[in-house]
Amino acid sequence: MKHLPKHLRPRWRYLAVGIETWPNASFGRRAFQREVWYAAQNLLGDTGSAETDMTVLQFHDYDGTAEAIVRTRRGQMGPARAALTCLDSVDDAEVRVRVRGISGTVRACEEKYIRGPPESTEQRHVVFENADRSATVRPPRYDVETASGGAFVGATALDFR
Amino acid sequence: MYEAVYAHPDGNSTVARHALTAADSDYNGIVVRNHGNEPAEYDADAISDAYDIDVAAGVEVRADDPSRASGFVGNYRSDRTVVVVHGGDRRINRFAVEQPTVDVLAHPMREDGDFNHVLANAAADNGVRVEFDFGPVLRSSGGSRVRAIKELRKLRELVADAGAPFVVSASPSTHLQIRAPRDIIAVGETIGFDADTVREGLTEWGRVVERNRERQSDAVIEPGVRLERDADDIE
Repeated sequence: MKHLPKHLRPRWRYLAVGIETWPNASFGRRAFQREVWYAAQNLLGDTGSAETDMTVLQFHDYDGTAEAIVRTRRGQMGPARAALTCLDSVDDAEVRVRVRGISGTVRACEEKYIRGPPESTEQRHVVFENADRSATVRPPRYDVETASGGAFVGATALDFR
Repeated sequence: MYEAVYAHPDGNSTVARHALTAADSDYNGIVVRNHGNEPAEYDADAISDAYDIDVAAGVEVRADDPSRASGFVGNYRSDRTVVVVHGGDRRINRFAVEQPTVDVLAHPMREDGDFNHVLANAAADNGVRVEFDFGPVLRSSGGSRVRAIKELRKLRELVADAGAPFVVSASPSTHLQIRAPRDIIAVGETIGFDADTVREGLTEWGRVVERNRERQSDAVIEPGVRLERDADDIE
């Protein structure tokens, strides 16, 4: 199809989103996109969801954290931000979502807010509440596995001094 | 702006992890509001220095009847900076708003709790802050979320009409449930709050902390009586 003339093309805004989860969680762009649509529809309804028209353009998974760029229509940043804030799990994995910033172009968004892979995690044995536990560590963050079923307690280096 | 958190063992993240995450989310401080029967162990000064965020000791008093709640409030008042009452029961709500020593009445609408203009006026008279709990809006769905939003609206109208003080919290029990202030404000605007109201509610925790620390400092002897520096020192 022929391109629309410039003044009729939709104006987009790009939200840089930081995602944090427990170390045993694993999901990709498609799962995140689905949850974004659900979150928008549940909070804003069908009309609001169509208005914000959110699409996940990039999704970088870094083992326990992730970052994404989500596109929304200009003027809908408030509702889009609210919908992303209400996104609390992806594939039953609890997540923390944070909008780091909003840019007018993908490139600006990447340069300003996408940080790239963090330090890789390592497994360590730690003593937590007088018991030997295994922990997934990305200093200063320690995710301590308190039960074999994947129950974690979030801690930091300060808890092991 | 402050967030009031439930830390391990009342939640799934330690105070340090909550503090680290809150600092990363642009908060100025956290209030540790574990329920009285599940206290957290932590070194507030060390955490505060390491992550550059204020850590205030609080407690959330949970009791089945007002007379026991009153006893707990009395016990905790002298050594905790922020005393919160676990609301959600009509008698407990009533007790909390009538006690000037209570700082915050948490989630008054939870379960079969209710609120009305009489309680709102009492809260205004006694300076007890009413909490707008955003937790269910952020983390539940379907009917229970609809109910939570509806109840927040009722509470907001009553509190605004009476001019009662209020706080806002996402009541996180793990660090993953912490949301940045701007994001909470966006959610607030979607469910009918003013951005300023939400910001005010997040800031109010900090004011409570500051005021109570001053009251509990050695300079204050009793209400209205404070130690000033000697006239000789000033010269």
